[in-house]
Amino acid sequence: MIFPIGASRRTEHQTAAETVYDAVVIGAGISGSIIADELSREGKRVLVVEAGIGEDHSLEGYEAYVERFYAAAVKDNQSPYPVNLNVPMPRGSDVHRIWPGQPDTSGYLVQTGPFASDTSYTRVLGGTTMHWEAKTPRMLPEDFDLRTRYGVGRDWPLSYDDLMPYYAKAEREIGVSADAEHQSFLGVHFEPGYVYPMQELPLSYLDQTVAKGVDGTFVELAGEQYELRVRAFPQGRNGVPSPAYDGGKGYVPIGAVSTSQVEEGERCQGNINCVPICPVQAKYNAAKTLSKALERPNVHLLAQTVASRVLIDAETGRVSGVEVKAYADPDSPRYTTWTLRGHLVVLAASAIENARLMLASDLQSSSELVGRNLMDHAYLLNWALLPEVAGTYRGTVCTGGIVDLRGGPFRRRQAAFAVDIHNDGWGWATGSPYSDLNAMVDDENLFGAALRSALPDRLSRQLLLAFMIDVPPNESNRVSVDPRYTDRLGNLRPVISFTVPEYTMRGVGYARQFARQVFQRLGAADCTRYDPTDPSYVTYEGEGYAIRGGNHLAGTHVMGSNRLDSVVDADQRSWDHENLYLVGGGSMPGIGTANVTLTLAALCFRSAERMLQQLRAETSRP
Amino acid sequence: MPAPKITSIDLLYDYLYTAMQLEHATIPPYLTALYSLTPGTNADAFHVLRVTVVEEMLHLTLAANVLNAVGGRPDLTRPGFVPTYPAYLPDGEDDFQVSRCAFSKQALDMVLNIERPRKAPEEAKRTIDRGQVKHSRLGVEPNHPAMQFYSIGEFYEEIWRGVQYLHKKCGDALFSGSPEKQVSSEYFYSGGGQIVIVTDLKSAKAALDLIAEQGEGFGGTIYDSEHELAHYYRFEQLKLGRYYQSRDEPHQPTGPKLRVDWDSVYPVKTDARLSDYPEDSELHAAAVAFNRSYADFLGLLTRAYNGEPALLTDAVVEMFRIRDRMTRLIHNPIPGQSTLNAAPTFELQPQPAVVAS
Repeated sequence: MIFPIGASRRTEHQTAAETVYDAVVIGAGISGSIIADELSREGKRVLVVEAGIGEDHSLEGYEAYVERFYAAAVKDNQSPYPVNLNVPMPRGSDVHRIWPGQPDTSGYLVQTGPFASDTSYTRVLGGTTMHWEAKTPRMLPEDFDLRTRYGVGRDWPLSYDDLMPYYAKAEREIGVSADAEHQSFLGVHFEPGYVYPMQELPLSYLDQTVAKGVDGTFVELAGEQYELRVRAFPQGRNGVPSPAYDGGKGYVPIGAVSTSQVEEGERCQGNINCVPICPVQAKYNAAKTLSKALERPNVHLLAQTVASRVLIDAETGRVSGVEVKAYADPDSPRYTTWTLRGHLVVLAASAIENARLMLASDLQSSSELVGRNLMDHAYLLNWALLPEVAGTYRGTVCTGGIVDLRGGPFRRRQAAFAVDIHNDGWGWATGSPYSDLNAMVDDENLFGAALRSALPDRLSRQLLLAFMIDVPPNESNRVSVDPRYTDRLGNLRPVISFTVPEYTMRGVGYARQFARQVFQRLGAADCTRYDPTDPSYVTYEGEGYAIRGGNHLAGTHVMGSNRLDSVVDADQRSWDHENLYLVGGGSMPGIGTANVTLTLAALCFRSAERMLQQLRAETSRP
Repeated sequence: MPAPKITSIDLLYDYLYTAMQLEHATIPPYLTALYSLTPGTNADAFHVLRVTVVEEMLHLTLAANVLNAVGGRPDLTRPGFVPTYPAYLPDGEDDFQVSRCAFSKQALDMVLNIERPRKAPEEAKRTIDRGQVKHSRLGVEPNHPAMQFYSIGEFYEEIWRGVQYLHKKCGDALFSGSPEKQVSSEYFYSGGGQIVIVTDLKSAKAALDLIAEQGEGFGGTIYDSEHELAHYYRFEQLKLGRYYQSRDEPHQPTGPKLRVDWDSVYPVKTDARLSDYPEDSELHAAAVAFNRSYADFLGLLTRAYNGEPALLTDAVVEMFRIRDRMTRLIHNPIPGQSTLNAAPTFELQPQPAVVAS
């Protein structure tokens, strides 16, 4: 995939400020890229505005990211990306214990607690797809009417069936590898004869080892029996194309992005560091979509340009422009201010940044729900040592898991979850393999041949089950702004207040029990210990748990059926400002037990159709 | 059209076997140059070489598909399949040999010679009598070792003429091979250039054209008909220090600059042989082990091309092992020759005595 040379620099701020575009899109992540591609394909003039460093997506630049990751001492999700004080990013390593009345202001996110979240999102060209895991399950049909069914959360103004054709579009765009038959469970269904673009990626040896102890066993929950099995996850990573895809037309995988035709991109080869960054670009990132859009002369890109205010025409209520701050040098706080105008304005800057920008513009909306209902999956980690070598550290981070408890009537009382089997051992929980190496050298005095044999023996027996647990929307979990907290360009920083709801904690408690049961069936020694000094330590019914963030941010401009119960409608259009769209995870009224990217991509494909209709209706000239 | 040289199915089998031999013959030199680059340096050269190797494997597979389509049996394990380097390619001027050597300006010139687009000036010059073969030669007319084709393109042109001739003679019965043996895009994924399933005249032409165009370009342009930059121009970018972009004219790239660090290369011994390594050294043992595993790899490919295409997935894993085994040799100096590093020797069977030239 060719990224057009110079596209990141070809548009001058002056020219852009003098142009009225059909659409101004804030954010060049997956949402903004899909919108830009869909609108420009129909000849619309689109301006994409990206806050992060603005360089062409060259192979050299991508490999510099990979090299920076390799060299980093702390390999968190942001480690491939240079620090940019003009566009700061939240980092997992920023999180500290929060004391009542004393917000933690040390990272980019100001956190008032009580729960200290280590959630993150990435502010570079390509957005969070530059670090995502690329797991792409669809939501369950029951996730869309959870309130009606189980009295929990919020109903969507859309059903699974409404979204189904757009799921297929998103799966094509991302290039998903999965087996439709294996994904047909708990009500998930497909168009007749549907096949995914690429064949299912194989389960790792570790998955198969876990499957031996799990497949065909049952658990009882709220009076119902659930049969368990280890299943492969759908993945946005290139695998074997399905010859039967698209009525037998097949699918051509999209390879690496570069300014020159040098690297064609490879199939997923199971690199364990695929999060944060796939060394061979087998994993989808939004530059693959953005490159297509930028091939068209009617798409302009302004990078290093941070939206600071959405301007509203007081008479019509329409957005009249977006005020932005452009910086030439990431190491300097100097910037110039511009106003950009479009017939439509699309905020696609992530759930937290969209809300931050609206609130910084004094736009709480009629429902006053902007920033509220912030959601992110709660992750509970459980780790154990298997009785024999199980090939841990082979394969990408996660290839399979247990998803049978993603849905069911038990959701009236407690949160559902999906279980990931982690191929990267205890890394997420304990800092393995580095922590193991340190312990063996410093504490166990191993060296030489003994160390060489002991280390792989222990590492390849590590099993980590990560439970991704539903967190329903709650208005007190929110993003707000406070004039006391600004970044270097003077933009207001997001202030996060978050409590893990009791409903979720009941799911957490059950997850722990469930993990112990699985470990017993596998004859594995449970090594799970939650550290009470962990900033994200939470107690519930006398037990303590460390809860990790999932980076699946949602809910902050929630969609609904009228202007008083929601910020946007089912098309992700603002109820209050008819030419303003807020797109991405922020529109989702629930996250269920699915990673959010596929669903938000599907929503963007759907919204792009409505944007085109609106543009045709409002700009058609006689 | 002048009389074709391929007038029987057995001759077509010979030519297609030679085609596979030819496509494979560039792989050991390209891999040696690729893995001679110091890791973490020379990203541009690394990618150009890597992508080209993958496409040579595509050509190998396309040739196997054509051979299977006409009922032949691809066999990469036949003695002599892997040439003894240095070896001549069918270059009209006979001015260079193909060697397994480190990446260097000279090596780049060699590669450009291999990939150079050439069409014979006139029909009569498509083959050239080079006299008795003293060295290992590739692209020779089978059963006629003295006759060399002017270029790889002319060699494939001859195959195409033969396919047409035989199709005229025996009709669709020419394509008698089992479709089960065709390798499809499910099993071969190069990113650039799609595999062609060969079942008839049209698909045979598509497969043969793709092989020729990916090397040399199509219709005088720098791209093939699938908009892939031809190999010659990919390598020329390294020589000229600049990338091509669409609409560029040959030899005048206007894309972004690139840099080659000629010094960040391991000084591997050119056309290294087992006899260069002390008999009881670790290097010798590693080189022997490499040759054994490379022979096994060719055996695996032969099975993949004979009805077990799914084995190509295993072959990808094997390519990672080949990389590791090659770098183990390339990263180590030869005992007693402090300025030269080892390299895999690709000697898969007892070597004939070297003929003095």
